[in-house]
Amino acid sequence: MALPYLRGKANDQFGKKRQEAGSANREPQETGDNKSESDPKMLVETGCYDLNPRTEAEVAAAVAEDGFSQTVPNCTHNTHNGLEENLRLAMEEISYHQYQHNHHDQNHNQPPIHEDAAAAVAAATAMEIELQQQLAFHMDHSYNTSDHKNNHSLDNSYIAHEMQEIDHFNHHHSHQDQQLQQIDIHNGHQNFDYSSLQNSPYPPAPDLLNLFHLPRYSASPLLTSSSISFSDPSQNTTNYQNAHGLLGDVPTAADSASSASVLYNPVFHLNLPPQPPLIRELFESLPNGYMPGSRNGSLFGPGGDEREGSGSVTYQDGDVRQFENGVLEFTRDMACIAKGRDGETKHFATERHRRQQLNDKYQALRSLVPNPTKIDRASVVGDAIEYIKELIRTVNELKLLVDKKRCGRERSKRHKTEADDAVGDVESCNTKPLCDTDHSYNIGSLRSSWLQRKSKDTEVDVRIIEDEVTIKLVQRKNNCLLFVSKVLDELQLDLHHVAGGHIGDFFSFLFNTKWPFVDDFCLIPQIFEGSSVYASSIANKLIDVLDRQCAAVPPSNY
Amino acid sequence: MEQVGFALGELCITGEGSSRGRMGRKRHSDDIEDTSQFKSKNLKAERKRREKLSNRLLTLRALVPLITNMNKATIVEDAITYILGLQKTVEVLQDQLCEFEASSQEDAKPRNEVEVDAAGGTNGSGIQAEVQVTVIDEDRLWIKIIFEKKRGGFTRLMEAMRAFGLEFIDANVTTSLGTMLVSSSVKGIYGEKLAVQYTRELLLDIINGI
Repeated sequence: MALPYLRGKANDQFGKKRQEAGSANREPQETGDNKSESDPKMLVETGCYDLNPRTEAEVAAAVAEDGFSQTVPNCTHNTHNGLEENLRLAMEEISYHQYQHNHHDQNHNQPPIHEDAAAAVAAATAMEIELQQQLAFHMDHSYNTSDHKNNHSLDNSYIAHEMQEIDHFNHHHSHQDQQLQQIDIHNGHQNFDYSSLQNSPYPPAPDLLNLFHLPRYSASPLLTSSSISFSDPSQNTTNYQNAHGLLGDVPTAADSASSASVLYNPVFHLNLPPQPPLIRELFESLPNGYMPGSRNGSLFGPGGDEREGSGSVTYQDGDVRQFENGVLEFTRDMACIAKGRDGETKHFATERHRRQQLNDKYQALRSLVPNPTKIDRASVVGDAIEYIKELIRTVNELKLLVDKKRCGRERSKRHKTEADDAVGDVESCNTKPLCDTDHSYNIGSLRSSWLQRKSKDTEVDVRIIEDEVTIKLVQRKNNCLLFVSKVLDELQLDLHHVAGGHIGDFFSFLFNTKWPFVDDFCLIPQIFEGSSVYASSIANKLIDVLDRQCAAVPPSNY
Repeated sequence: MEQVGFALGELCITGEGSSRGRMGRKRHSDDIEDTSQFKSKNLKAERKRREKLSNRLLTLRALVPLITNMNKATIVEDAITYILGLQKTVEVLQDQLCEFEASSQEDAKPRNEVEVDAAGGTNGSGIQAEVQVTVIDEDRLWIKIIFEKKRGGFTRLMEAMRAFGLEFIDANVTTSLGTMLVSSSVKGIYGEKLAVQYTRELLLDIINGI
């Protein structure tokens, strides 16, 4: 489709194109920009369409020879995707030359006038070949990644399309103008495909560039492995040579496949706009389970750490490189997530993490509660409910106590000041001072609190109303009446009533006690030792004593 | 709620399976695929368990001033936060009370004399100290003691009784008009038979000694 047009137009538009091509380097870049807004790779590619205006013959020869635009001499490899990419490229290059025969004639006919067109054609063919190669070679066991696998199914969708284009290329080379036009159209089309392919898991662009004429830089073994295969266009090496180069490079590529570091960033001199942050943000925004670069096998290993580790490996490269890698792997991973084949395993890891966190929370809740009994969730929640209610009661009681104390103080102060006044003495007791208006709700209300404490053998229920303390006690092992009465004496509680005894397996008692000393004004027992005015302290003390002392005494046999 | 229950059940796979009395979580999932008989039996129990948990979670949610999302994890988390907050409030209030106590100790008038109920003479009420002992069983005695109520009197009584090998099986103590009535059945600690007279005199001595 493109070729005939190309041919037809070759003569007519060649000069124009040449001028266009030669006029400004920016043009291809602009077109590249237009075509791929968000894809820096496109930018890179167009930048690669370089910009050495060549004679028609040269270009034609170059194109003819290797079927790719020789006009991309300095086409710096925009990014290096990774070992696997390089290797794959190398492998594919080997078989690429097979297509050279098919393309040879057409290439001759193709007027690579327009560098974009030629490059597009080359790109298309390269992509096509690579896709086919991917299908053919499939997995490389040499580099233990599943990238190819991930790419595989996605590539299929593109293969057909590419095949069509390749066929077009192959069969329609009679007219150059047609070819040219087609190439133009196809160029745009190809570029779009290119860009779309860029966004797809399978990145043809870097492969393409690898295939072609990358300058040789010996700094990075990886790069050299890929770039070695691409001779300088000026050398006019044949495809065969390239293939040889590639062949020769294959072992080196294989050797260097293990090395992960890429020292050279070929994109340097492209003066790309700062793209990497974009991808980095993309990565950061990824959910935890979808770290790009993570491989299927490693997903569920140690979980998050491994994922992040593998993800970080891809970042070791240079900026643009990581960006490149990131996009590729990100899209690759997203694709495989979408496929669902490996997505479930990622879900397992996140789900497990979530469950773990939930269990931790339940444990934390249990640790807060004073009487934890069972470990199952329902009991934990039930205990928490009771405890929250108790805490609310305690808070209310304390607030009331504080208010009453404050009132009592004010009243006692006033009482002192009025004590001199004998007449008003009695009345002052009865008059409601200022604090009443502020805390009127408190004066009438009774101080009340209730809480329960449980231990392994003992249950204690303490209720306080004003100055009366009611204690219910259930104990499993020993008859603890003596100890309890001792404790009550310590607490300065007067026993008013006791009832209980040996009931079944338990000893159960009810104690009605009273605080002997009560503030006349505030009805709050005065704290002598500053300890046990609170129900909680009473209960805790009781439990302590009972657990310690009663357990020490051997249970009496009944 | 059913869906929620199922979801909860599914998600509780790694939960407290071990503490469940009936069947562990893993076996439960196998049972679901097993015969329908097992399925229905366990399904009901499992459903009930889930409902119980979700009801309690709802109650918890109602108690807590929930701030964030309404899912299981956040309700538990918010409950934890709320409990910590309440505990802190309790501490603050108790400290306040302590301050009040400290500052008002100076103001406190000596109130040791105001012991209205603590110690009252039996003479005032006309009730005499008394001990009554009866045998109600082979090794059990029923005793009734009336004595003047004093601070720590009951404790001393208990201590003395224990020292002599008497142990309460059950006890009823009431206080009235400054006297304490103790009626209980006692038993020898070491299971020996207790002589009535001996016990009675013992108790009288104890009471007089209190």
